[in-house]
Amino acid sequence: MHWLHAASLRLGLLGLLGLLGLLGLLAATPWAAAAGEAPAAQAAAPQPTADAPPSSAGQRIYAEARPRLLQVRTLLKTQDSQSSVGSGFLVTTEGHLITNYHVVSSYALQPSRHRLVYATVDGQQGALQLLAIDVVHDLALLKPVDAAPLHDRGVVAFRPADEALPRGARIFSLGNPLDVGFAVTEGGYNGLAERHYLTALFFGGSLNPGMSGGPALDDAGRLVGVNVAARRDGEQVSFLVPAAAAQALLARGRNATPITQPVHAEVARQLLDYQAGLVDRFIAQPWRAAGHPRYRIPVPQETFMRCWGSGTPPAERGLLFERSDCTMDSMVFVDGPLLTGFISVRHEAYDGSRLGLLRFQQRYAGSFRNEDFGQDNRFRTAPRCVERTVGPGGLPLRAVVCLSAYKKLPGLYDLSVLTATLDGSQTGVQGRLDARGLSFENAQRLAQHYLDGFGWTAPKTASR
Amino acid sequence: MDRPENRLALIELLGRDGRPRRMVDVFCWPVTLGRGLDNSIVLDDPHVAAHHATLAPDAQGALWLQVGDSINGVALGAAKHPPVLPAGARAQLPAPGAVMQLGGQRLRLRLPTEALADEQLFTHPPVAGKALAAVALAWLLLEAFDRWVNLDPGADFTQWLPWALGLPLGVALWCGAWALGSKLFRHGFDFIGHAAIVLPGLLALSAYEWLLPALAAGLGWPGLWHAGKLLLPPLLVAAILRGHLLQLLPQRGRAINGGLALLLVAGLGVGVAVNLRQQGRVFADPYMRTLPLPMLRLGTPVPTAAIGAAMAPLQGQLAERVRQDAADHPDDGSTPP
Repeated sequence: MHWLHAASLRLGLLGLLGLLGLLGLLAATPWAAAAGEAPAAQAAAPQPTADAPPSSAGQRIYAEARPRLLQVRTLLKTQDSQSSVGSGFLVTTEGHLITNYHVVSSYALQPSRHRLVYATVDGQQGALQLLAIDVVHDLALLKPVDAAPLHDRGVVAFRPADEALPRGARIFSLGNPLDVGFAVTEGGYNGLAERHYLTALFFGGSLNPGMSGGPALDDAGRLVGVNVAARRDGEQVSFLVPAAAAQALLARGRNATPITQPVHAEVARQLLDYQAGLVDRFIAQPWRAAGHPRYRIPVPQETFMRCWGSGTPPAERGLLFERSDCTMDSMVFVDGPLLTGFISVRHEAYDGSRLGLLRFQQRYAGSFRNEDFGQDNRFRTAPRCVERTVGPGGLPLRAVVCLSAYKKLPGLYDLSVLTATLDGSQTGVQGRLDARGLSFENAQRLAQHYLDGFGWTAPKTASR
Repeated sequence: MDRPENRLALIELLGRDGRPRRMVDVFCWPVTLGRGLDNSIVLDDPHVAAHHATLAPDAQGALWLQVGDSINGVALGAAKHPPVLPAGARAQLPAPGAVMQLGGQRLRLRLPTEALADEQLFTHPPVAGKALAAVALAWLLLEAFDRWVNLDPGADFTQWLPWALGLPLGVALWCGAWALGSKLFRHGFDFIGHAAIVLPGLLALSAYEWLLPALAAGLGWPGLWHAGKLLLPPLLVAAILRGHLLQLLPQRGRAINGGLALLLVAGLGVGVAVNLRQQGRVFADPYMRTLPLPMLRLGTPVPTAAIGAAMAPLQGQLAERVRQDAADHPDDGSTPP
């Protein structure tokens, strides 16, 4: 199918500088056409800030948080070059600190090749140990090997979850953007990001690479959220992980033994838990109607997805089609380019009444032909597919179901389901569902659930 | 006296392509062969001695070859590496049709006593004349149909130019290039002969593209679709090349067949090996990339509940891929325990 890639936009994780660069996450907004596909290098450049310089409150917050603020560096074991940098902050007097998982993912997945160090604002440095990770919320809990230099620096307190922050409240985000130097960025709290499956706070301020894992504080200096990502297609649209997730990770992992082996099994376990909830919730929702006169086409609810539609101009001489493209904004970062834990559903409804049977069938089959299910790479196996002609509600439907297995995350699979209606001589619908990071059973369930979403709009006899 | 019907024998000097380059009538024995001008037949070849050999009958009338003062001797017989008679040796000629090699010169001796092989039927090119025109027309019409299907209604006439000009020109250039080869090896610019080879091949290729995938999709047989895509185009292309090459070098039939068969088997083997290595499957495509025409679709759809069971074998196949991959990339510092 000719999916509209112009509607793709970028969301950058903020932790990775240097080799890892910025990650472009797919999301969609109507600005897509204007923003285009911004190259990663451009995305990494500092963004202009329309903020006024930090107020006196900002000075106070920074002065207070300064001793508890850290830079977290991942270095190659054999040399002192940094492979990624992010920020972090102290949450206990023993020196426990919180940062993003994506800041320390190289170490977590390859501890034999990397090491972790911190640097304080006043120039202290030391080695770090990884205690626990929360891949889904992109958080990590660390502890210094030698707690002494971080002793008596105080802690960043958590803002109680029952004290709701009003929209428009000032938030101060701290960190070390682009490794330039420690900074405080002031912005507004804009509530929760809408239609996100995972709760994310919408911070109306600039977050830059290198600030990942830094604290976002209210005007009393209490933790509201953890810097995590920003949209690269807009300005000052940034996201924070809610403080509650960091608090839970601290409670769970503060006495854990340091991680010295690759965490793949733990990552897989967390992702399996996550997908179980996601797929259950997705399947529990009824499909929306697509408004097609002939076919019942599965379109997901927009509770945690966003759908964009487009179509051919009415003057088009050839094949006419309407397209719907639904994706999730929430994705789970695992490693480098590997993002998982999301579902997308697309379809194209074709009308060949201006073409005639043969020409329509040729284009319709051509659209079915050029689908890609990925290749073998270092994260996933090449896809294996099964294909059947199924008959949901009596509608003949060609279904291709492909699965790839994650090479190092046992029990996780990527699912793609490609469908094409087979009954129409000059009309047809092709659909595709993609879901990343599922258990095998959930892949089977979701595939069938998607196929069951197809059918006739009315009883077969009436519709023809 | 030297009239053709009085000839005692005929000596043919063979060219490199095995056909007679020069023929010498023999009216009296002995016949001497060599580089010297006093020989009956003068062979201008640096590897031939001044008086290389003599052909003469004995008292009983049997014809003998006497090798003269030569360091290279005479190779006698039509075998690939015939026995070489050294200087001074004598051998009775195994008539008829004896082939002998003196230096770089091959000669064939024909005697009136030899039994002639039967006349062979002259075979015309497989497609010629009206049949060839019909094949060319059928191919052009099929391509025109293909072009028509690919163009939107009301397409500009310029969009037909690739069909109207490109295809005939392409075929003409192709046949012209092969015909130049014919000129080189067969001394004839056989344009039509090569057209008679390539046009049926192109017709078969076009017909394959239109029929087999549609048939496989209609029957719901992905195996047929994949196998057809893997085998048929290379086989047809190899058949076309074989036709052209045989036209050029008819006496090299075994080498051409063997070479193309080897190329075909090696190409398919490497392709399948690469697919197996990279994708873990024999065929390049992950699924049957063709949809059946609504009126040609056979078979009954299965219930959607069957899809889960159909997916079940994938789990084991993917586990095997993961296991293989882990074996290929032993501990890189990130393998899970």
